[in-house]
Amino acid sequence: MIPQIEFVRPKTLHDALSILAESGDGARVIAGGTDVIPGFQQGDLRLKSARTLVDIHHLPELKNVETRDGGLAIGAGITFTDLAKHPIIAAEYPLLKQAALTVGNVQIRNRATLAGNFVNNAACADSVPPLLVYNAVLRIQSHTSVRETPLSDFLLSPNQVQLNAGELVTNIFLPKLSASHSGEFYKLGRRRGTAISRITLAVLLKVTENRIEDLRIASGAVTPIGMRFIDLEKVALGKTIDKSFLKSLANELGEHVLSKTGIRWSTPYKLPVLQQMFFQLLCRVRGCSGEAIR
Amino acid sequence: MSADSFTVVGKPVVRQDGREKVTGAARFADDLRFPGMLSAVMVRIPAAHALIRSVDYSAINNDPALAAICDASDVPAAKTVGIVRKDQPVFCDKKVVTPGDVIAMLLGESEEELLRLRDQVRIEYELLPVLTDYCNALAPNEPLIHPEFGSNLIVHYPLRKGNVEQGFAESDHLLEQTYTTQRVEHAYIEPECVIAIPREGRKEIQIIGSIQNPFTARRIVADVLGWPLTHVRIQQAELGGSFGGKDDIMCLLSARASIAALKTGRPVKIRYRREESILESYKRHPYTMHYKAGFMQTGKLKAMKIDIIADGGAYASMSPFTTWRTVVQATGPYEIEHVWTDVRAVYSNNPYTGAMRGFGSPQPIFAQESLMDEIAVQLGMTPDEIRRINGFRAGSITASGQELAQHDVNLVTVLDTAVGQTAFAERWQENEQHIKPTWTPSCSLDNKDFIEPDQLLQKGIGLATSFRGCSLGAEGTDAAAAYLSLRPDGSASLLCGLAENGQGLRTTYCIIAAEILGIPVDSIEYLDFDTAYIADSGPTVASRSTLMGGGAVKNAAEIVRTQLEGTLRKRWNLATDRSFVFSSGLVALVDDPAKYISFLDLCALAHSTGVNLSAIGWYRGPRVHWDESVGQGPAYFTYVYGCQVAEVTVNIGTGEVHLDHITAVHDPGTIINLLGAQGQVYGGVTQGAGYALWEEITAPNGKIKELNFDEYLIPTSLDLGTITPLFVSGKETYGPWGAKSLGEPTLELTAAAIANAVRNAVGKRFFNLPLNLEEILLQRKLRPEDPNANQ
Repeated sequence: MIPQIEFVRPKTLHDALSILAESGDGARVIAGGTDVIPGFQQGDLRLKSARTLVDIHHLPELKNVETRDGGLAIGAGITFTDLAKHPIIAAEYPLLKQAALTVGNVQIRNRATLAGNFVNNAACADSVPPLLVYNAVLRIQSHTSVRETPLSDFLLSPNQVQLNAGELVTNIFLPKLSASHSGEFYKLGRRRGTAISRITLAVLLKVTENRIEDLRIASGAVTPIGMRFIDLEKVALGKTIDKSFLKSLANELGEHVLSKTGIRWSTPYKLPVLQQMFFQLLCRVRGCSGEAIR
Repeated sequence: MSADSFTVVGKPVVRQDGREKVTGAARFADDLRFPGMLSAVMVRIPAAHALIRSVDYSAINNDPALAAICDASDVPAAKTVGIVRKDQPVFCDKKVVTPGDVIAMLLGESEEELLRLRDQVRIEYELLPVLTDYCNALAPNEPLIHPEFGSNLIVHYPLRKGNVEQGFAESDHLLEQTYTTQRVEHAYIEPECVIAIPREGRKEIQIIGSIQNPFTARRIVADVLGWPLTHVRIQQAELGGSFGGKDDIMCLLSARASIAALKTGRPVKIRYRREESILESYKRHPYTMHYKAGFMQTGKLKAMKIDIIADGGAYASMSPFTTWRTVVQATGPYEIEHVWTDVRAVYSNNPYTGAMRGFGSPQPIFAQESLMDEIAVQLGMTPDEIRRINGFRAGSITASGQELAQHDVNLVTVLDTAVGQTAFAERWQENEQHIKPTWTPSCSLDNKDFIEPDQLLQKGIGLATSFRGCSLGAEGTDAAAAYLSLRPDGSASLLCGLAENGQGLRTTYCIIAAEILGIPVDSIEYLDFDTAYIADSGPTVASRSTLMGGGAVKNAAEIVRTQLEGTLRKRWNLATDRSFVFSSGLVALVDDPAKYISFLDLCALAHSTGVNLSAIGWYRGPRVHWDESVGQGPAYFTYVYGCQVAEVTVNIGTGEVHLDHITAVHDPGTIINLLGAQGQVYGGVTQGAGYALWEEITAPNGKIKELNFDEYLIPTSLDLGTITPLFVSGKETYGPWGAKSLGEPTLELTAAAIANAVRNAVGKRFFNLPLNLEEILLQRKLRPEDPNANQ
């Protein structure tokens, strides 16, 4: 049950940041509410001490999408429905669009926002693996400061992010990507609609003359938080791309994940499937990039 | 009357409450408020089996937010209730046997305040050993759940036909398998809600709620209050889904609300949140089923021995009826000379189980239809061939010794229709011959474990057939009433004693009356259900509403029509052998169509001459009989037959199963509302698919884990491909124009058909529902609480 609580709807981002600064520890931000409202119903500990809800859902400053420095700056409050519809995102950052369309269902996507998906750092946040492979950088503002942080640094540990009281993620910047990158997003859920992720993967690949020039791999749901596999990516650099290499890479991904999670009840299912589907995903990406794979 | 001569029967008619339901205008119980109404909050302990030592209300007794407390000491008459065995306390005061049990109920104006007070009730209790392994419930050292019955056995149904050992000895082949099915939740959209209102002087109680069976609720409330039935009046609110699930639980909540309303003299509303609904309401029985079949090289079944144990959970509820249907239908729609079946339902500390759409049939159908496919594979036959060899035909004798007669035995017709429609045999064989890639899921994959991308998705096709006894059968008295009253302006009011459960029976009944009277369906107003105004017609269960209630409505309309004909004969001075046609709002002479009167004028005429234009129609099922000691007898007065074909795509890398297409062929007799019938198929197949692939209530240590729809997964529209309903017609003696059952047949087959399709796709047989990701890939369930999960 939602307790008696103060609810404020500031008119501008500036006002919102002032209120957050004044309210201190008792303030909680609400945008789409798809996390906060069920959180109240479930007695979420993060909402226990909430005294003021600051609604930012309507703020136009948080909905903008604009090109900047060759890349794209996306307002943190954009809904997944609007994200999936955006032509530049569809053309330049297709993995993010793919991921957006797997979030919840139509009703949830109509309300849920991009930053809302990752600010609580849940392992199953579908937008995180694509944002990580696109090297997303967050703009974080408070009443008195502005700073920029890569998403990979922002995500600390399960449910923990690098965000101080009074701060708000206002923008997500995706740097320019070469046209010769191709990639895929993969999500496995227990069903097709309204499914919480069991496994998510995002892969970006650039191949020159059958050699790997750039490979970016990020996971969600299989690891305690969404993360990049930098060591694995380095191993792949310069390697000839063929099926036997992809298989060994899949095996190595399994080892990396296992080292992060240890053996859990779900490991006998998740780990082999992760490897199998990572291999399938790489084959598909390779297929997309035009050259048949041996 | 032949199908072509119907005016509205069999046509697609939009249901009367459709618009209100989709626009949100329909008013459900929780939309209703009454002056002075109190809220109620239940007090429970988080234990599956415990002795209650003491309950201390001292911390809340004087709180201004508390209007009253109700517990066992407030129950005036029957302290325990139950539809068959009275084993379920209205409030527990000695022990709890499942975490859904309620010890007390707090009443007040603010639900929020009551929730705060609930945490301050101090309950001391002593934990008892918990019995969750129901297959072990009858072992000597297991705890007794209800010691007063001396055993954990709720019921045992034997069925003995022929000599099963001789049958096995004469068989060319034997096959033995064990199958299990899981516990599932009804997942009605609207959680439980009921309001009890004390009438003047507290001598009568009025109850409005989301109640499946108002007459059952009336009986239980009257028992608990120690009152005559007539002082308990139950009105049904708009009901947001039931699927058999708003029976016992709503009776219990009606009783609690009534006690509280009489104690406080104020209206009391009980409404459940989803978590509380799933926690306390009953589920579909998990079954463990051991089958042994003897058969000839020709494919002919010779003998079958079946041993089934059903988990009744904490209370008997409907177990004695549910498992009875199981014993009748456990061998499936096949002729078998020698049968030996034992079905037992037992107590455990698991959530209690009762009625759910299907009612003891989806479980054995999964087992017996899996078994039939295995026999076919073993003999090199196709699944349709083996069923054609053994399937019921006119004059076949069932396992209980009943001869199938007086109706079209349509089993082979539905089978042939489904097989023909889907090119089943060719496609099944093609998939069967296809070499399936295999891999061993382990923490480190070998090169050969990686699947070639073009082999990742495998197609499969599978079928299942069933027969199902219509209505209650030898379970109980089977009769229904309907009241029809014509107004002077030609409009009519109608009410049947069977309650709408969201399946659209109001529309079905109006169609039947409209057909008889030759008036538009929308000129008939269906009245609100109230036990004070209509005769007890038994429960809305067993797919009996169209058959039994429809029969009563037709009878009522015919009585009124006869009155109108009499009026007209007198007016026109006609001999009694002249007959009339009622159509399009006109009444004409059959042999002289030029001579007619408008229906409206005829009603006015009858009214002005004092003719009675109100009638109570009645329909009673024919006698059926059952000998409990050997399980023999004509169990049901008629049967329906069905065949469903499932086409699936299996991702062998992940274990995902996608349903591409389900073709559902049924013979429901004469269809009254085509739209309603198709709706039953879409809904039933969807629910059956959920049973096959996703849905499961687990209860480690007796405590339900899946308390809301984030963890309890029902299929969404994205998870199902096309559903094609096809209806086969046949002659039937009973029901309105031979209309019989459809609601449950549509659901009971689906899981079995899907399991057979998955087998066809991946080459492996699965014995344990649901076929979730882990089951498909690892052939076992994987759960956090499982000590061997990591091995």
